[in-house]
Amino acid sequence: MIVCVAVVGHQNNPLYIQSFTEADDALKLHHIVHCSLDVVDERAPLLSITVNNPKKSSPTLNETFLGLLYPTENYKVYGYLTNTKVKLILVTTDLDVRDADVRNFFRKFHAAYVDAVSNPFHVPGKKITSRTFAERVSTIVKSFGLSSAS
Amino acid sequence: MEEYPEELRTPPVALVSLVGCPELHATITTHLHSEQPPINALALPDFSKISIIAKPSKDASALPQPVAGILKKDWLLKHRTRVPAVVAALFSSDHVSGDPVQWLQVCTDLENLKGVLRGRNVKLVVVVVASSNSKDDLSEDRMVALRKRAELDSKYLIIFVPSESELQQSLIRLGNTFSELANSCYKDEERRIKARLERKNFHSAELNIRCCFKAAVYAEFCRDWVEALRLYKDAYHAVREMVATSTRLPPIQRLIEIKSVAEQLHFKISTLLLHGGKLSEAIAWFRQHYASYRKLVGAPEVIFLHWEWLSRQFLVFAELLETSSVTAQHVSPLVSDSTDRVTDWEFHSAYYVQLATHYLKEKRSSLELALSMSETSGEIDGNAESVIAAAYVGQFVKLLEHGDTFVMQSLSDEEYARYALAEGKRIQDSYEIIALLKRSFEAYNNDKASRMAAYCSFQMGREYFTVDEYSNAKEVFENVASLYRQEGWVTLLWDVLGYLRDCSRKTALVKDFIEYSLEMAALPVSTNAAGQRDCGPAGPASLEQREIIHNEVFSVIRGESESASTEENSSLKVTADNPLYLEIDLVSPLRAVLLASVAFHEQVVKPGAETVITLSLLSQLPLNVEIDQLEIQFNQSECNFVIVNAQRSHLAAISCLQPGRRVETAPTLELRTNKWLRLTYDVKPEQSGKLECIYVTARWGQHFTICCRAESPASMSDLPLWKFEDIVQTIPMKDPGLAFSGQKAVQVEEPDPQVDLNLDSSGPALVGESFIVPVIITSKDHSVHSGELKINLVDTRGGGLLSPREAESFSSDNLHVELVGISGRECEDLANSENIRKIQPSFGLISVPFLDEGESWSCKLEIRWNRPKPIMLYVSLGYFPQSPELSSQRAHVHKSLQIEGKTAVVMSHRFMLPFRREPLLLSKTKPASDSDQIPSLPLNETSMLVVSAKNCTEVPLRLLSMSVDAVDASTCNVKTKSKYPEEPVLLVAGEEFKQVFAVTPQVNLPKLNMGIVCLRWRRDHGDGERSGSCSTASAVLTKHSLPDVNVEQPPLIVSLDCPPHAILGNPFTYSIKITNRTQFLQEVKYTLADSQNFVLSGPHNDTTFILPKSEHILSYKLVPLASGFQQLPKITLTSVRYSAGFQPSVAASTVFVFPSEPHFGLKDIGEIRVESVVAE
Repeated sequence: MIVCVAVVGHQNNPLYIQSFTEADDALKLHHIVHCSLDVVDERAPLLSITVNNPKKSSPTLNETFLGLLYPTENYKVYGYLTNTKVKLILVTTDLDVRDADVRNFFRKFHAAYVDAVSNPFHVPGKKITSRTFAERVSTIVKSFGLSSAS
Repeated sequence: MEEYPEELRTPPVALVSLVGCPELHATITTHLHSEQPPINALALPDFSKISIIAKPSKDASALPQPVAGILKKDWLLKHRTRVPAVVAALFSSDHVSGDPVQWLQVCTDLENLKGVLRGRNVKLVVVVVASSNSKDDLSEDRMVALRKRAELDSKYLIIFVPSESELQQSLIRLGNTFSELANSCYKDEERRIKARLERKNFHSAELNIRCCFKAAVYAEFCRDWVEALRLYKDAYHAVREMVATSTRLPPIQRLIEIKSVAEQLHFKISTLLLHGGKLSEAIAWFRQHYASYRKLVGAPEVIFLHWEWLSRQFLVFAELLETSSVTAQHVSPLVSDSTDRVTDWEFHSAYYVQLATHYLKEKRSSLELALSMSETSGEIDGNAESVIAAAYVGQFVKLLEHGDTFVMQSLSDEEYARYALAEGKRIQDSYEIIALLKRSFEAYNNDKASRMAAYCSFQMGREYFTVDEYSNAKEVFENVASLYRQEGWVTLLWDVLGYLRDCSRKTALVKDFIEYSLEMAALPVSTNAAGQRDCGPAGPASLEQREIIHNEVFSVIRGESESASTEENSSLKVTADNPLYLEIDLVSPLRAVLLASVAFHEQVVKPGAETVITLSLLSQLPLNVEIDQLEIQFNQSECNFVIVNAQRSHLAAISCLQPGRRVETAPTLELRTNKWLRLTYDVKPEQSGKLECIYVTARWGQHFTICCRAESPASMSDLPLWKFEDIVQTIPMKDPGLAFSGQKAVQVEEPDPQVDLNLDSSGPALVGESFIVPVIITSKDHSVHSGELKINLVDTRGGGLLSPREAESFSSDNLHVELVGISGRECEDLANSENIRKIQPSFGLISVPFLDEGESWSCKLEIRWNRPKPIMLYVSLGYFPQSPELSSQRAHVHKSLQIEGKTAVVMSHRFMLPFRREPLLLSKTKPASDSDQIPSLPLNETSMLVVSAKNCTEVPLRLLSMSVDAVDASTCNVKTKSKYPEEPVLLVAGEEFKQVFAVTPQVNLPKLNMGIVCLRWRRDHGDGERSGSCSTASAVLTKHSLPDVNVEQPPLIVSLDCPPHAILGNPFTYSIKITNRTQFLQEVKYTLADSQNFVLSGPHNDTTFILPKSEHILSYKLVPLASGFQQLPKITLTSVRYSAGFQPSVAASTVFVFPSEPHFGLKDIGEIRVESVVAE
């Protein structure tokens, strides 16, 4: 189950962070998302190197999906870096998550983000307050893993 | 890791026992330790002690006892310290080859030893220690007998020679034998146990595990790591299977035992993997270990034991990683693509430490829960002390005292739970947690993972907070807060600030408390996070909470905290004894609380004139705030003013003002959330320079002040946290231009000068003259106090040749233009006084006397041009309009004037030979061109020098005199040929003046210096020259140096002689005189061409000889046939000796023919008149 998703901006500031748990661990999830930025920072340059160097790059690296950032306590944290260096973060409690599912999720999430910031009334760099975006994200979150099950 | 027994933590080392000959034990033991691999030695001084090694007798070995546990706790220790693999019996050679009694003793000892070892698989070595001097004493029979008795192969009967020469060799031999035997012994054991394993004739899983463990240990003894790992893994898996199957112990204790055993096995496996360099495998193994035991929580009353156990697993693994961290960097985390790929952080020990802390916290909370539950039922009793660890790993028994003997009794689960609770109560987990957090914080910091580190230190701060160490907590939280501020994680920052606020409240730090409260109240938190319960002391991050904090802090600020004050708040008071002053600078987090933007409406302002300033204040506090009083501070303190809130003017806040300060009253000073409060006032700067607003100070009540640094709207940055918020952007000023470009500083100009400064100049300056520039200072509305006149000459082309500093380096000859002097009516008296007077070639400074209004003063600048050059003359007057004691405002008047420097006269000269007299100058016949530059003059002949001076300016000049200053009068005689006019000659613009000199060189020199032409002139001032007093008092001397001339002795001189004019039809004589100046006979050929205008008589061509120092005259009679200028018949002379020809010039051979006899009114008409005055 996805417990938290986040969009993090250039200055590592949160643009959108939403948790989907009944329990009171929103703050903890904020911490987890914040900590995961360390991993993104560490991995992002690695990614760009492999992208720029075609000899070394394997097909899985030549993209923006950062994969599992780190497992912590009961959570697993996944990351995704858009080409504008906006970070998308996903925290899940599922122990065995298929990479394909996560990729799929991020693709949808990214599309939703792109639509949200394409709104002419949205000022780039500001928090995303769009209600439509929030609804869309929660739909994506709910559908996570369902496609693989069926 | 430290809590594991040592034998578990270190790799196994073979054990060898030495018996007898105790004096050698130390040597041998040391050697064995240094072996590779090392061997431990159990030294027994004599044979009576051998019973230690003996196998404990089993009384009822026949009865198959039920298995009481999985692993015996001391089994490994026993094999590490008590049960040797090899026993070496040391006999001295004296005894062996001694008398029968001694031999018998040897035999007995050997037999006893063999008896002890019989039940065990222990190898025996017999060592005969030869006495140092009698090596060969040993009898062969005795040795054989000994070997037979010991039933040994001959190579295990070793002769040890302790003498110095052979000691090392003996030791090596001994060591080799020991290690070989020990290895084979352990291998035998391993094989034996493995055989049992393969037979699978166990009636219980416990035995199976035990055998696996033992075989693995033996494999480790043999350094067979791969096999050991395999066996350990077998054992581990078997243990995991037992969880579901075992029924031996009550459930709680069963699980505890299984976990303890699994922990030991896991530890062994991890160690082996890590030491084998298989880092990723070890991590994967750990994950699996964690996954398979994570859910085995056990009974709810002792759930904390599970968390403790999990925490230990993480911690131990972290420590293992640290000890083998060398290889950690080589593994690429991105190798595999499956979901169980190892992530970067899993290679860092800090990650495990952090999780260990997490589970330790979990343990603490569940322990607290369990304790509170047991306390309510009052279950904890004193008999927990009697519980001790049992002989099996992970088991506990109750020790009961029955008289002298102790009886071990197994525990019920309730008893065990009580024991565990009592144990748990004794340990202070918080400090442990803090220590662990500190460790992972440092490790993360080293890995440059600042956010992970911040999370660790946040948790650390929370622990400090719970154990009431507020100062430590505050320090830690402050670091964390700065990171969250920087990255804009508002919810996290809110939480941290909540802790910080509480810390300051509890340590009664009023200032910090208010700062944190204000910061929190101004945080961009608006979401309604209702129902959030895991928040810190600040409560959930919400607008309501912000408002609560806002109200609370303002009640403290206003000292109105009597209403809702708890006992904690009572120490927080802002009173007269304890006033509070906050400063907000450009990087302060409190900028959101109060932001002051100040803009002048103008950029430049005159002193004394009013200018408008707009002051805009912004606050992000959730509720409206009423400021009592505002003070605006400038760098010119006399401009400072105070704005008082009209609704609160009754408050006594104003009393603390300095007297004489300007006070404005505003109807209201209410700050609304995210709304600019704009105030516009006039400011009247008095002093010139920069007027800058520095601070805006807001007062609430009498004792609370916030001093906010003023910011220019042009350079104001956004509020750091609010800039990410989706709120309405407002600009500080109504005027958008001002909002984007307004400055908090204004330039105040100097006071307008009320004095005229006039520079007068009469046209261009002439090179050489002292050019006078009059300066007139006329005071209009200002009187001039301590005036100073600065004069600067600057090259207009920016050549900088006349900069005042460089002036010294120029010699005055090099200066093109120089300031010669300053003169004026009052200058003379001034020069004597103490007043400043400084003149340099390009810079002058003089003081101006006091001038009252309406007075004027003047002086004259005297500037001399040495070269023609345009310059800029800058004159500036600085003065005080009032006497300097009253005001420090200097006023300045600047004037500049460009002056062209021009050459006044251009002089030129020309040498001419006398008319119709032509000397033969040999140098002229030569074709050499280099001598062309130097004119040649005949010696002792009079030549003409014509000097002309042309006025190049627009100014009329008066020439006073022109003369040639010869260098040496004896060498050359120069006479003025034309008479000089008595009156100075007026030379208007462009006019030329000529003067003729007769030059007779008297010395034959190749280079004769002709001297210098001196021309004296002055400016003509037109009518009457009455202004001469002012400028042209002195005449200017212009010099023109004449070139050197070549003086030659001419060998021949040809003179043409004919009348100045002829009359048509009248005959006249034309004679050509050839003078031979040489000592030689000269042959001259001549030819006379006919001319159609003349009839002539005389020879046409001939050759004549001229005697030395004599002359020959050719004489012709001519009758002119035409009037006007007529060319005489052309004569051509050729000197044969010098092969030089001569032809008179056209001018020389031209005569004017009158048609009839003319009648001239004047007498004495000659060529001179014609040539001298002619001005073309």
